[in-house]
Amino acid sequence: MSGNLPAVENAISTNSVTPVIYNEGAKTQFVLTNKSAWLLWICQLFNVASLGVEISSWMLGIIALCLCWQALLLTKKVQQSELSNINQPSYITPVSSLILKLFAISGCIAIAITAKSLGVLLSMVHLLSFAYILKSFELKRRKDFYQHSLLGVFLLASALIFQQNLFFSSFVFLLLLVNLTLLLSVFAPSAPIKELGKTTAILVFQSIFLAIMLFIVFPRLSPFWQVPLAKSAKTGLSDNVSPGDIANLALSSELAFRVDFKGERIPNYSRLYWRAMTLENYDGRKWSRININPQGADKNKTSVFSPEVSGNGLDYQVVAETSYQPWLFALAVATTDSPQIYLQRDYTLVNDRPLNQTKHYAITSYLDAPLDLNLSSESRKQNLAIEVESNPKLVELAAKLKQLHKQPREIAQAALSIFNEEQFFYTLQPPLLEDNSLDQFFFDTKAGFCVHYASSFTYLMRAAGIPARVVTGYLGGEYNATNEEDGLQNGHLNIYQYDAHAWSEIWIEGTGWQRVDPTAAVDPQRVNQGWSTRLLEQQSLLNNDFISLYRIKQLPWLNSLRLRLDALDYQWTRWVIGYSTKQQFDLLKRLFGQHMPWKTGAIIAITLILVMSLFTLWYRVKAPKKKQSTTPEHSLYQQCLIVLGQQGIEKDPDLTIKKFCLVVEKNAPDISSKFNQLTATFEQLIYQQANEARRKALLKKLTEQVGDFLSIVKNKTKKNIKK
Amino acid sequence: MAFAMGLKNFIKSRFEQFLKRRVPGRYEHLLSRQNIFIMPTKFGFAYMFFVFLLFLLATNYQNNIIMLLSYLLASFFISVMMHSFNNFNGLKLQSSASYSGFAKQDINIPITINSLKKRYHLTLAFANQNDQHLAHLSHCETGNSEITLPFYANRRGIINLGRIKVSSEYGFGLFVAWSVLDFSHQIVVFPNPKEIETNEYNFSLEDESKASANAVSASVGMDDFSELKEYVTGESRARVAWKHFARDQGKYTKHYQSQQGGSSWLNLEDMPSHDIETQLSFLSYLINEYSNSKQVFGLKLGGLNNIKIEPSSGQKHQEKCLYALAHYPSQVSNI
Repeated sequence: MSGNLPAVENAISTNSVTPVIYNEGAKTQFVLTNKSAWLLWICQLFNVASLGVEISSWMLGIIALCLCWQALLLTKKVQQSELSNINQPSYITPVSSLILKLFAISGCIAIAITAKSLGVLLSMVHLLSFAYILKSFELKRRKDFYQHSLLGVFLLASALIFQQNLFFSSFVFLLLLVNLTLLLSVFAPSAPIKELGKTTAILVFQSIFLAIMLFIVFPRLSPFWQVPLAKSAKTGLSDNVSPGDIANLALSSELAFRVDFKGERIPNYSRLYWRAMTLENYDGRKWSRININPQGADKNKTSVFSPEVSGNGLDYQVVAETSYQPWLFALAVATTDSPQIYLQRDYTLVNDRPLNQTKHYAITSYLDAPLDLNLSSESRKQNLAIEVESNPKLVELAAKLKQLHKQPREIAQAALSIFNEEQFFYTLQPPLLEDNSLDQFFFDTKAGFCVHYASSFTYLMRAAGIPARVVTGYLGGEYNATNEEDGLQNGHLNIYQYDAHAWSEIWIEGTGWQRVDPTAAVDPQRVNQGWSTRLLEQQSLLNNDFISLYRIKQLPWLNSLRLRLDALDYQWTRWVIGYSTKQQFDLLKRLFGQHMPWKTGAIIAITLILVMSLFTLWYRVKAPKKKQSTTPEHSLYQQCLIVLGQQGIEKDPDLTIKKFCLVVEKNAPDISSKFNQLTATFEQLIYQQANEARRKALLKKLTEQVGDFLSIVKNKTKKNIKK
Repeated sequence: MAFAMGLKNFIKSRFEQFLKRRVPGRYEHLLSRQNIFIMPTKFGFAYMFFVFLLFLLATNYQNNIIMLLSYLLASFFISVMMHSFNNFNGLKLQSSASYSGFAKQDINIPITINSLKKRYHLTLAFANQNDQHLAHLSHCETGNSEITLPFYANRRGIINLGRIKVSSEYGFGLFVAWSVLDFSHQIVVFPNPKEIETNEYNFSLEDESKASANAVSASVGMDDFSELKEYVTGESRARVAWKHFARDQGKYTKHYQSQQGGSSWLNLEDMPSHDIETQLSFLSYLINEYSNSKQVFGLKLGGLNNIKIEPSSGQKHQEKCLYALAHYPSQVSNI
């Protein structure tokens, strides 16, 4: 007599074996299947990789070590489980918690030591990734796993602080899918990862609609408190240059900024001198800004400056990439309405903080307007200052030129013709100069990049008594016409780091500051169309990129693909990254009229309801149907039932088809013989495991019989009506 | 404190009433909007808090992509809710039969789950049982699957099993979808068999005189030996005729005279205890023992109804006796 006396009445057939685990209490150990454990490993690898650029190499080393260790333990575990036939190896590693604690503490100390050089934000990121990797050694309960998952997603989010372009965002989005799949795999350990991934992807895609709606209408708030900003390496132009500096920058094909002229005619290439800063201070070696304030504009002094403008304004939109520097780029003379941008006395623009994410700003430029018609004595003094001892030969030459020519313009022209006529050479690989001597360059090596020419020309002008300064910025840009339609110039300009340039400005009475580019005298192509093929080849050789921009440009299909992707990324930058409070306000006003909080609420609510009803609909459509009445024999039989129903003979669902025959015989004996025949055929069809040919024959027979039967019943009803 | 308890009880009873209306008892339940409840789990709440943190991060950094991520995760939460519901919707559960078993032992209650599609992560448990008594299905194939759910009864009697809680955290652990189903189960719980020392009790022989009661044990040969029968698996080892077995004459069991002479009576009053429940437990043990050794016995419970079961043997008889024990009114009379 065992446990109980079941009075067995249950005769429902069980057609599947279902794994049942009893007594799985809440406190049992958390166990990951081997599949999930590897997915977790991959997740960790990629989550950390998304921050790979920001994390310092020693930390990457530690993380790599941890991951290798985990991989080793995992493979060992698999072997063990194969030997001992345990089908669910756990991810719990036999690392003693003491070792782990010591490791964690030493890691934290290392982060604390380097914190000063890393900055607050990067230290946090280091700590986060370190904690993330260590946590995976200790997944003992489900709670730990949940924490680990959320930490992983947070890691992905923090990676987005540093980069937001379309490709990186898509990468992060894909990683998010993997992370969520991992989470799901815990709840369905038996399902294949591919299926889980599909489920997750469907769910995320279904969420996108509401997410986009929220993104568009949900009110954007201003920052609640000051957050530590990314202190990454500065990119782009620096605020002091010595000859040879920009040549390094010219090797980089990174994007510096984009300009959208909104359909207006783009000025000629040779007029696209994007000014970033003026360098008026020369110490005999390098040029630097006079008002050094790298953290941003001096707000009190400069906010008053508004340049005098005349002529037609040119409107355009600039999207500057993250540079961690405050300089902005524009064509002179530029004006803007943006409150965060300050116009400087030297007609350059400075943002109120370094650009730690892409910056959108609208500019109106007056290309023909003069700069500084009156020069203050202080400024004149500044722009004439030279150290005579540093380059005596140039001073001598200046004196000679001054004797020959009276007008500053003529002196400048004479200097340019020297560049033009003598054997000067424009190159990315200029020979090294001793002490940055301009004399050595001008009279001896005669080979240099733009800064060499701009420096020596400016020096020469100052020596000849003409106020002059070096200006740095970018020249030209690559026009991307992918978004162009109807012949309008709707595309945008891409300005890359290799477009960085330096030129001179001299001050002439009555004209103001006049731009003079000595590079034009040496390599006119650079100024009119961009880099010459020779320069491009040189660049391609110098930078060790496997796929250089130059090589891509050689292949037309690849280049058009590049431009297409670039156009896509531009749209992303413009509409998603650049979607601001103001844009939101304008858009909502255009779509829904006067902005009101209840409208926003209503839109969100309607979207939510819409999404949920769509869901319900989708599930209903997708819901598995019972297989009944889908086969042809069932539908045929159903037809008969309907006709009989019209005759008043209805089939009780509980009746078997055989018993129903008896009912028919009782109620309508005249048609029962036909019905019996077709029922027999129908029975054969549904219960016999007939082969394909026999099935076809039977089905044909049934069709005929049903046809007969229906016509008989029809005739019968007609007769009845006649009667 | 008292107020809080009162409030808790009030809410509980209201919920109970609500359930009665919403999910009435029947032997088959189809999970639908009618009877599925969905709540975020602790992790679900933590997740929402995390999404809020992401939103703060995005706002403070004025970072649109992180903001988009936080919105995506927030709406993902809603999608998962729907998904979680869908994993549960349309599941059919059946449990019809009435069962019986002993108190303080697990009684297995079979439940049939019918599904038109594959489902994951189902947990079944009786709502009024502790955590140790649940069945967990990591997945459930299409078609019928039968599982048994252990029920642990503390006391004998006719016990209403109460509701079965079916739950699933398949929704990424963010949501728990559950339903409390009433199959109107009633099980008969027999008293927990309690071993009794063989010489501690007397049993009466129906020899017109109660005085001739003599102590008997199942294995001690106080009765006259009657015959040897071939060993049937499951018979008490004590009755195996080991001498015959050792002589390789086959495995036999000894059967005794007393079964023929007059059938024995098991009497509640004779049980060596003052507690009625203990007495019933002893009886339960004896009924099993006697049935196992195929003895003929009767049962006398006395009491108000003067319950008496005529001597017989076999499984039917055993059941009948045990049912009588289960139905015996308890002293507190609150069954």
